Amino acid sequence: MTSPLDHDDIIELVREPIDPRLLIEHVRASEDGAIVTFDGFVRNQSHNRPTLYLDYEAYESMALTKMREIVAELHEKYGIHRVAIVHRLGRLAIGETSVFIAVSAPHRAAAFEACRFAIDTLKRTVPIWKKEYFEDGAVWADGELPPAAVATPRAKPAS
Amino acid sequence: MKVLFFGRLKDVVGQSEESLDFTEASTIEQLFAACAARNPELAKYRSSVVASRNQEFASWDTRLQPGDEVAFLPPVSGG
Repeated sequence: MTSPLDHDDIIELVREPIDPRLLIEHVRASEDGAIVTFDGFVRNQSHNRPTLYLDYEAYESMALTKMREIVAELHEKYGIHRVAIVHRLGRLAIGETSVFIAVSAPHRAAAFEACRFAIDTLKRTVPIWKKEYFEDGAVWADGELPPAAVATPRAKPAS
Repeated sequence: MKVLFFGRLKDVVGQSEESLDFTEASTIEQLFAACAARNPELAKYRSSVVASRNQEFASWDTRLQPGDEVAFLPPVSGG
C-alpha cells in the first residue's frame, strides 16, 4: 500500500471543504526548492448553461487505489518529494475547490511536469463522477473512458 | 458476487449495488449481459462502460471468481 520510502504524502477523499494552505504547508520541506499546485474548482457554467452546483461521487476504495498509483509514479518517475492530492465528494457550490494537488521537488521543472501529470491522469483514470445541476435539470458530466480495454494479465504463474 | 454501478449506470439500474449469484456468468462480459437481461436499458451503455474486478480495471474477458467485486464504470469525470 505504501511505497518503500515513506514520503509522508496526503492522499484523501473528503466531504468537507479543502484547505489548500494546509496541503501546501504539508509538502513544503527544507530540502526542496519548488512547490507546484493545481486547484480545480467549480465553474459557474457548463456549455454555456449556468450551473447551480455539482455533486461528486466516487468508487471510493478504487479511487484511493488509483490515486496512490499516481503518487507512486510521481515519486518514481518525476523524483517528487512530497505529494498532497485531495478530491472532495458530495455537493459543491460554485467556486469551491473540488480537487487540490501540491507537489514538492528540489527544482521547478520536475514539479511542473509532475503536477500536470497528476491532474491529467486523475481525470482519466480515477473513478470519480460529477453530476451537474442546472435550473431545469441535471446531467452526468461527459467524462473520459479510462484506458481499461487492454488485456489484463492472466493469473500469476505458480512460483 | 458483488456488482456495483456508478454515475449514470446507477440511475439506470436504480441502485448502486447488487449482490448476485450469477452461476451462469463466468466472465465480466457475461455478467454485464446477465445484468442487462434484468434491466434492458443497461445494454445501451455497453460500448461506453469499462469494468473493474476487485478495484482494478479489467478487460471484458476477465474470468470471475466467487466473492469478486465487479464494478461497471461510465466515463470518469473527476477533477
